[in-house]
Amino acid sequence: MAEGQRLKVVVVGGGTAGWMTAAALAKLLPFRASLHLVESEAIGIVGVGEATLPHIRQFNEGLGIDEAEFMAATRATFKLGIEFRDWGELGDSYIHPFGTFGRGNHDVDFHHYWTRLKRESEAPPLGDFSMAVMMAELNRFALPEPDPSKLQSTFGYAYQFDATLFAPYLRRVAERLGVRRTEGRIVDVELNGESGDIAAVKLESGERIEGDLFIDCSGFVSLLLGKTLGEPFEDWSKWLPCDRAVAMPCRTDTALTPYTSAIAMGSGWRWRIPLQHRTGNGYVYSSEFISDDDAREALVNAVEGEPIAEPRVLKFQAGRRRRSWVRNCIGVGLASGFLEPLESTSIYLIQAAITLLVELFPEKDISSLDRDEFNRMIDLEYDRIRDFLILHYHVTRRNDSPFWDYVRTMPITESLQDKIELFRRRGRVVKYREGVFLDASWIAVFVGQGLVPGGYDIRAQTPSPDRLKSAMATFRSEVRAAAEEMPDHRAHISRYCPMAEAA
Amino acid sequence: MSTTNPIATVVVAGGGITAWSAAAALKRRIPSLDVQLVETPPAPEALADRIISTLPSICGFHADIGLAESDVIGGAVSGLRLGTRFEGWAVHQPDYVHAYGSCGAPVGAVPFHQLWAREDAAAGPLPAFDRFSRAAELAKRGGQSNLDSQPVGLQLTLARYAEMLRAYALHLGVAVRRSAIEQVEVRSDNGFIDALKLQNGGRISGELFVDCTGAASLLQRQLEVPFLDWSSWLPCDRVSMASGLADPTAITMDRNAAFAAGWRWTASSVQAASRGMVYSSACSEPTEVDGDANSFSIHQGRRRDFWVRNCVAIGDAAVTVEPLEWTNLHLVHSQIDRLVAMLPGRDCAPVEIAPFNSECAAEADRVRDFLCLHYICSHRSEPFWKNAASIKPPSSLEHTLALFRERGRLPYYQEETFTRDSWLTVLLGQGVRPRRIDPLADLVSAQEAAQAFAAMRQSMPS
Repeated sequence: MAEGQRLKVVVVGGGTAGWMTAAALAKLLPFRASLHLVESEAIGIVGVGEATLPHIRQFNEGLGIDEAEFMAATRATFKLGIEFRDWGELGDSYIHPFGTFGRGNHDVDFHHYWTRLKRESEAPPLGDFSMAVMMAELNRFALPEPDPSKLQSTFGYAYQFDATLFAPYLRRVAERLGVRRTEGRIVDVELNGESGDIAAVKLESGERIEGDLFIDCSGFVSLLLGKTLGEPFEDWSKWLPCDRAVAMPCRTDTALTPYTSAIAMGSGWRWRIPLQHRTGNGYVYSSEFISDDDAREALVNAVEGEPIAEPRVLKFQAGRRRRSWVRNCIGVGLASGFLEPLESTSIYLIQAAITLLVELFPEKDISSLDRDEFNRMIDLEYDRIRDFLILHYHVTRRNDSPFWDYVRTMPITESLQDKIELFRRRGRVVKYREGVFLDASWIAVFVGQGLVPGGYDIRAQTPSPDRLKSAMATFRSEVRAAAEEMPDHRAHISRYCPMAEAA
Repeated sequence: MSTTNPIATVVVAGGGITAWSAAAALKRRIPSLDVQLVETPPAPEALADRIISTLPSICGFHADIGLAESDVIGGAVSGLRLGTRFEGWAVHQPDYVHAYGSCGAPVGAVPFHQLWAREDAAAGPLPAFDRFSRAAELAKRGGQSNLDSQPVGLQLTLARYAEMLRAYALHLGVAVRRSAIEQVEVRSDNGFIDALKLQNGGRISGELFVDCTGAASLLQRQLEVPFLDWSSWLPCDRVSMASGLADPTAITMDRNAAFAAGWRWTASSVQAASRGMVYSSACSEPTEVDGDANSFSIHQGRRRDFWVRNCVAIGDAAVTVEPLEWTNLHLVHSQIDRLVAMLPGRDCAPVEIAPFNSECAAEADRVRDFLCLHYICSHRSEPFWKNAASIKPPSSLEHTLALFRERGRLPYYQEETFTRDSWLTVLLGQGVRPRRIDPLADLVSAQEAAQAFAAMRQSMPS
């Protein structure tokens, strides 16, 4: 491919979004894009300790990253799902696992049989029939088996890692792939007078960096997409009222859990993300319902382990830019939108945007077809995640604070209302063939939040009550036995991917 | 809770393959259901009951209802089919074979068709796209062997197949009443169907009514469901068909040949054969195929909702499309499968039947798009074809065409009957080419691509 056809791509911002974008484009489009990343060390990155979804593994594989080396460098642990405590009501707990419930080879989804058992007599928790949940509860971990007939193949996994180490790790990868980096603060964005496209960014040093395509990874500021091009922000705070977080890491001296925790609080929820060397903590809350000082105090009182930094407050707003790709500028990550980290979707959304950009990479003269298709697809991702997050707040019996009263009774979108009603009646889940959270995730959260269906698929009526009971009991003990054979999470990490001893 | 009480009695109305398929599947997959079938005289123009060629999905339907392929094939199947040869659809293009299964293979992470289109344009003509389909190559050679690893459709011996399904349904416990329907009794309070009053004096009541009565839609017609007309996109409105002579040397593919005002099919197997033509009455004098011809009008389109209150329409009662890609019975099977999986409570609450309607509608609309594609991308000069190619396509097809023409991308749609390779076979087979190639294809050089193509061609059946 001739050099002249390469697009000059300028990535603005050097956090997780910026370096993920730069590394992926350099690797996958070596003849189409020359990459130049501008970042300023004076501007901090948001990274507060990051939990991810299993999709990240494909991203890393695409870059040829060695898993054990990457995990050691980012002090990562394995993640089998998220534990939700106190969501349906105070004292409740469930795990949303990366994996399925029951055996997946039947016509009728497993949860219908479970519902029948529960309606007829009593049933153990749904999670007892999930490999990922059982492993999480027992603090075990081993890599999944490739043979789909084995129980040990029925789970997926992701990572919990130090986000402040992830971006530098990717920077090394990206620079090896030829990405140019310039340090400096952007003081001006220059538009082409005729087309209105972005022509260049100007740095404090006076340097001017021209480009054909600009990727806005500037975070909440949304320097290019929001500030310069004025793309409006769609505010979703009426459904997702949390607008602040206070974060404070602690030393890890408790169990190294192979899962993230999301513990509901009086005016929001608290995360707990165990890494090899420390545990990330934070309280996501709504400033309408609690003051910063009270939130800080609630967090300090709740965390386990010795704090290793002062609590730090972040502000945000749920929603997204009306369009993520405008003219020759594409917002990736927080510059395009924000959804609270309740289901660990931040890095997933970055990855989705990058994948789409690679698939729809434009020519110098950008076709609106590419732009429209990108926006259509990324909007779908945002909207589906939004509904899934709202579900956690809305399907609850909590009535112990004004915050929970609000989210329990707020009006929600019609499509979500229908989804809830379908499950309530007969345990039906609308099946998506693509997208991030598939039916098992919806089932986990519906049931976990206390919504047990009134009916079930009529085909689940077939086995006799005794046969159903004994088949369920057998399966449950198989799951437990398989999990118990696996090594302890911490033991697996210290063999597989131990971090270099911290100084 | 009465609203969550599941349906216990189902009445199926209709007389052909569609009705017996629905009754057998419901009874077999939900044995607790009481299934009664009101056997009305079969509708002559119900295409799902009358087309001998089927898609590979029929084998999955048989498996779902517990029919072993050997049982079926012995009695009611006259042949296996690998695909269809399209003749004269696009001028200046060779005929192409739309076969089932994959066409070419990705090289690394790069889709085959991107490399094929790039090298075809850059390095001079390559073997046609369909020459990289194993099934198409097998079909051209006319073999009946070596089909084990291929998805195959079946050619049905219609009368025997219907009889086999009927016997099977009765064996499963479906009760049958043979009578025409005199009246559909609709409740005045909620508009639900209460019962069917039969001409022979009987009265059959039920909780759910399945309308398999063909395009006349005897039950659902009472509920006044709007019909969405597709005739501007699919302008053929006449069908003439006849059985043909069995051909002991028959090959494993059908032939669909375009002519001035429509197209003709020839489907032959060692035991049965069928010929037919589908055309626009506005562009042609009334005409018939030779032999024992049976001719009738069709009106292509679908009901806005397939399921209304306690009445669900299946097959031609819900959607009528020409048999161009043999989707008629496939749509029936797919609708039955959804009905079984989504069976609601007795109240048929709108929230429970809405997903059935939206999925069935999306599926039918994409079949419409796929059929319309054949007309839109033809370059024939007769007025019928010029007109068909100049129509503004449905927006979902427009979207597909725009992205493919621009950069060889096929946008994702949720309820797709045909695979990407099927879409590509028709698009590329009728001469549509992307303006530019996916940048990801850069990762494979021309030389690597040539080597991969040669290896693929070598592995083809000879």
